[in-house]
Amino acid sequence: MHNLIAFFRRFRIFMLFVLLQIFALSTYFKSLSFPRSQFVSSISTVSIAILEGKNSVTKYWNLGENNRQLQAENIRLRRKISSSFIRLNNKIVKIDDSLYQQHYEYIPGEIINSSCIKRNNFFTLNIGKNQGIKRGMGVFSDNGIVGVIHNVSAHYSVVKSVLTEGINVDVIIESSGAFGLLKWDGRDPSRGSISGISNDMKIKKGAKIVTRGGSGIFPRGLLVGRIEKLKPIEGKPLWDVTFKYSEDYRKIQNVYVVKNLLLEEQEQLEKKIPEDKVE
Amino acid sequence: MKLIITQIIRFLLFVLIQSLVFNQLEIGIGIQVMIYPLFIMLLPFETSVLLLLVLAFVMGLGIDSISDTYGLHTSSLLLVAYMRPVIFKVFAPREGYDSIKEASFFEMGQRWFISVFGTLLLIHHLWFFLFEMFNMSELGLVLQKTSLSVPLSFLLCIFLQVIFVAKPKER
Repeated sequence: MHNLIAFFRRFRIFMLFVLLQIFALSTYFKSLSFPRSQFVSSISTVSIAILEGKNSVTKYWNLGENNRQLQAENIRLRRKISSSFIRLNNKIVKIDDSLYQQHYEYIPGEIINSSCIKRNNFFTLNIGKNQGIKRGMGVFSDNGIVGVIHNVSAHYSVVKSVLTEGINVDVIIESSGAFGLLKWDGRDPSRGSISGISNDMKIKKGAKIVTRGGSGIFPRGLLVGRIEKLKPIEGKPLWDVTFKYSEDYRKIQNVYVVKNLLLEEQEQLEKKIPEDKVE
Repeated sequence: MKLIITQIIRFLLFVLIQSLVFNQLEIGIGIQVMIYPLFIMLLPFETSVLLLLVLAFVMGLGIDSISDTYGLHTSSLLLVAYMRPVIFKVFAPREGYDSIKEASFFEMGQRWFISVFGTLLLIHHLWFFLFEMFNMSELGLVLQKTSLSVPLSFLLCIFLQVIFVAKPKER
């Protein structure tokens, strides 16, 4: 017993070091799959106060650029509304509204903190549970997709961005219909890659990449980027596709969160697939 | 008392500057500037390792929570705090450390500071990037990031001392 106490006294510093180190590293390694809490996160009370203070200064830096972008989006949408059209023939047209049902709703938000130099980049949004944000919802901006909601507090949320290891968004190459998973290798914040595209598909440089909308996180057809480089992977019948993101994540500010109104229905249906047949 | 207040202000400044300025900078080619190990370095010589570890832990958590790195900065700073007494012992001057002095660029001499702080910074950055990637096939990228970031962080740390840490009066 005496020896044991002496041992502990001798190694207490090393043990404290190991203990704190275990805490830090376990929080870090768990964070990618599931955040342990809101404590070591940018949506904790103190961090949010600091970030809000910072944001109240920095949000004006890109104001002109952001306004131009929002205006361009407005014009694009305004072209589509009925008052921008004239009727070409005067026959009565009946529009049956019940043909369509709202599938997606969008919640506007603002990014108050972001980074793009780390291996895993998380963005902080100024909307949270009170605005209807839940873990797992998709986030996109006018120029492209941004990421998936990772952690939520009452008024704020953290987005796991597409500049993260294992983000795995379902994407499709628009012209050829080939689909794969979006990956990011941690090197260049303006380029990503797609895995799992078999090399018998005909793919062209410059082809548009859009979301596939399979998992119900994003609607189909949101822009992701354009293909920049194509290379066959040695020893596998696959293409190594590198593309350029259409969004510049260094400047991004205004985003929308996707709320899928039919997600529950889709999930219930997919639950009925027998377990052993799922890949 | 004055010393404690100075250290508290320094602590807060380091957390804020690191997380709001240097963690937001995008220089490219994998450079990431980290200056906060300087705080642990500049603590008085007689600070106990226990206190060093606790301070490193709190500071790391502060930076982690603001910049969403979930414990990565904490882990690397804990290592710096644990290694500081060891490195200090290795590079100890012949007559031992003068407890009135600070472990800064001006008070301890350039050669001593470059070797001690250089080693600590290298350990810190290497640990940080290794765990950030956590992939043996990316070892090249880890080394590239470390070798590019350490000199820049080091120069900035000297620059910060030139501006903010008082020079010893000429006698």
